[in-house]
Amino acid sequence: MIRKITGFVALSVILQADPYILGQGVYIDKMLTVGGYFSTEFESKESQETFRIDDVAIMAYGELNPTFSYLAELEAIGFYSKNFSTGNESGSQKFHVERFYGDMWLMDAFNIRFGKQITPIGYWNTEPINVLRDTTSNPLYSKLLFPKFLTGIDINGYILQTEGMHYHLFGQKNQDLDEEYINIPNEHFFGLSIENEFSSEWNGGGSVGEYITLTDQRTRFAQANVKYDDTQWQILAEGMITDSKYSNQESAHAVSGYVQGMYRYTLKHAFVGRYEYFNDHYSKYEDTIGTFGYSYRPLYPVSLKGEYQWHSLSDENRFLFSFSVLF
Amino acid sequence: MKWLILFSGLWLMASGAEYSVIVSKKVSFSALTSQQIRDIFLQKRHMIGDQKIIPINLLGQDEARSAFESTILKMDRDRLNVYWVKQHFQGVVPPLTQPSFESIKVFVQNVEGSMGYVPSILVDNSVKVVYEF
Repeated sequence: MIRKITGFVALSVILQADPYILGQGVYIDKMLTVGGYFSTEFESKESQETFRIDDVAIMAYGELNPTFSYLAELEAIGFYSKNFSTGNESGSQKFHVERFYGDMWLMDAFNIRFGKQITPIGYWNTEPINVLRDTTSNPLYSKLLFPKFLTGIDINGYILQTEGMHYHLFGQKNQDLDEEYINIPNEHFFGLSIENEFSSEWNGGGSVGEYITLTDQRTRFAQANVKYDDTQWQILAEGMITDSKYSNQESAHAVSGYVQGMYRYTLKHAFVGRYEYFNDHYSKYEDTIGTFGYSYRPLYPVSLKGEYQWHSLSDENRFLFSFSVLF
Repeated sequence: MKWLILFSGLWLMASGAEYSVIVSKKVSFSALTSQQIRDIFLQKRHMIGDQKIIPINLLGQDEARSAFESTILKMDRDRLNVYWVKQHFQGVVPPLTQPSFESIKVFVQNVEGSMGYVPSILVDNSVKVVYEF
């Protein structure tokens, strides 16, 4: 009888979430948490100054049952833009599908993610939004060398008998879902990515893969990444080398990487420096970029950042400022 | 009885195990490492052996929660908030909570696979201790 009563008490005690914390979404119930983010940018180059409301996004996710969960995200990129040099205003308020996937969790070693998702390669690509980054700009490594999104299947999980080694085996053999913001449209993309947590401060990993673009460019890539992060310092390094064969039968390789250091002066204030290199032998585009920036976060999900970039291509030097919020 | 409680309290203070991580007596495992508990409460892993685990946190800012966060999760509250902000973008929410140690204990007693932490002095033979800190 007592057992029945305590059972009743347990079931009648409603599990609850912590009260709302900015940046962690609004928890409605297990099946639905909603949130979103936006970012604004101001760019000043030698020839022009531009203000942009760059990203506006809403997202929803939840667990439909103990095995199946989902995430959906709609985003408008280039929501509004004003060029102060010419006076031109432009923008698109149309929302597109940024991510739309389901997760079928079978065990920690075997989870299947299917749908449109972020390609599980490295650090920068997996936390790509302004508010989660420590600089307004993205290194060229993260934009030009591999598809940032995958519309396909990612089988992932912990590797058995290891403490913190995680794998992703992913593939796409179809058209991208909503191609509007796809950096490299393709119908063939396969890869394997491994990450290992060496300690609470150190982790590292690497990826290999292949994609064929809609313009018939076949590219094979190898990538590596390492991160150190304690309460004061963070060091990130990522690099990739690609070998491509183009539709005109020419072959060429590209190499790119960056090293970024961040010193957290306090929890709210940080200085960031980054050195990056990009060299695409096919397009003959080679650049070395130095970035120095400052990041202020009154609360972690509210980010104000300023930076200056020096390019070896001198007309690309620029100031960038941004304000972004995750809610 | 008072002497027994006093003695238990003194013994726990002497042994340094102020809090216990508890699970239902029905589960098959009997001891875990702090790394396993950390991975469960950070929602990185969801299973111990064949058992799916439901982590239950304590609501609010109680010192037990701070002790759990610094000793097991190895993060202070600010760093943990950063972690959960990043997880929100990935579609992962923090563990659900209960308002008191008593409700955590009742929940753990009755829901196989749930895991929580309570002051060691509240532990009795209705639950299984898998880690002490």
